[in-house]
Amino acid sequence: MIHFSTGGCNGCDIELVAALTPRFDIERFGALLKGSPRHADVLLVTGAVTRQVRDRLIRIYEQMPEPKFVVAIGSCAISGGVFQGCYNVTGVDNALPVDAYIPGCPPKPEAIIDGIVKLLKKLGY
Amino acid sequence: MVSTELIIKIGQILVFPGFLFLIFYALFAEWVDRKFFARLQNRIGPLHTGWKGILQPLADLIKLLAKEDITPEAADSVVFATVPIILFAIPLTVMFMVPIIGPKAYISFEGDLIVILFLFTLTVLSVFMAGWGSLNRFGTVGGLRTSLQMLSYEIPMGVAAVGPAILAKSLSLSGIVAWQGRSMSLFLENPTEFSLALGIAKASVLALGFGIFTICMLAELEKVPFDIPEAETEIVGGWQVEYSGKKLALLRLGGDIKLVAASALMTSLFLGGPLGPWPIPPALWFLLKTILCVMIISNLRALFARYRIDQMINWMWKNLVPLSLLYILAIELMAVLM
Repeated sequence: MIHFSTGGCNGCDIELVAALTPRFDIERFGALLKGSPRHADVLLVTGAVTRQVRDRLIRIYEQMPEPKFVVAIGSCAISGGVFQGCYNVTGVDNALPVDAYIPGCPPKPEAIIDGIVKLLKKLGY
Repeated sequence: MVSTELIIKIGQILVFPGFLFLIFYALFAEWVDRKFFARLQNRIGPLHTGWKGILQPLADLIKLLAKEDITPEAADSVVFATVPIILFAIPLTVMFMVPIIGPKAYISFEGDLIVILFLFTLTVLSVFMAGWGSLNRFGTVGGLRTSLQMLSYEIPMGVAAVGPAILAKSLSLSGIVAWQGRSMSLFLENPTEFSLALGIAKASVLALGFGIFTICMLAELEKVPFDIPEAETEIVGGWQVEYSGKKLALLRLGGDIKLVAASALMTSLFLGGPLGPWPIPPALWFLLKTILCVMIISNLRALFARYRIDQMINWMWKNLVPLSLLYILAIELMAVLM
């Protein structure tokens, strides 16, 4: 997994980090947060994708080796949330092929884990 | 007759205690490391892949083998492709010089301790080449940090490893293990007060050596207090940053085997290698002791936070090097007394 924040309010980021901590521990399913996109299989996108960050998001995605998956976390990443219709918000869907959506503002760590497990099931794991 | 011997020899190289056993044992050690580390942090660790997640490292390995293998355009492709193979081969070579099923290793000759220390230095050089060859800023910084780190831990590591060699009057790992068994049985035959006092003094000095060697092994393995070269939070993945797919799989497997090799060295230099009381066979003793060493390493990993590179070099040169010189002095004194 690699986490990329595209300019949100950090709420989703904090919930995502909570999913790694002792109470939730996503390593039970074999998922670890990695630093380099080359080591990652899943790109976790939080925040409404702004025009400024869009190219960088695509570049990170292109640096990941195939097969690769994208998970959109939070209302902002899915639809723009409260920033919907804003002049500088483009949305993840217009930039990358998204494999799983996790709604919520912010989604609970349980919801994030559920979404990732559903993605794993979709892959036949 | 000759052909059965040959088959046994080939079987020893390929299956037990050779490649197949070592690879699966390395994956098992990674699982122990991850699980124990997670439990120390009050987490659960791998759980759903096999029994209590025991297959997780194997699943990761297979996944990485199946993934796309990217070579960056700017990288030196020859160096970039060779280094993972070297880093996989070196710890395996080391493991063949470590006694596993008996007091004698598969390859053993006078001076193999020096060869092992040299091979460990060679891994550092190849890590530096990996960082340099990938031509990534983070990779280059990681490679430079590895070699800087080596400058500070290499000397205490060599000195700590030479301590038991001086006492055993042998520079071969098998000789050191045999000496440990011999001195124990000599003591049991003739337990006098003087030999008891000498034995306790020897054990306490060697315990100091074990401590020094463990710290140096943490630095060699790039585990947490000294994971400066691959610090994920500051230089992304360090020297590994550009690796993906098969090459990353080889690097990870090589790292696991290096973990096993380091704990095997700790075991055979200080803990008596595969020797132990009778009812448990030597190979099982070896496994128990190496797993204990793996647990020591992951315990220290959970206990500490990362040092800065200058803090580490400062600390090593100001504290660990004088301590190791003191240790070698005590060893010499002991050797004279014996």
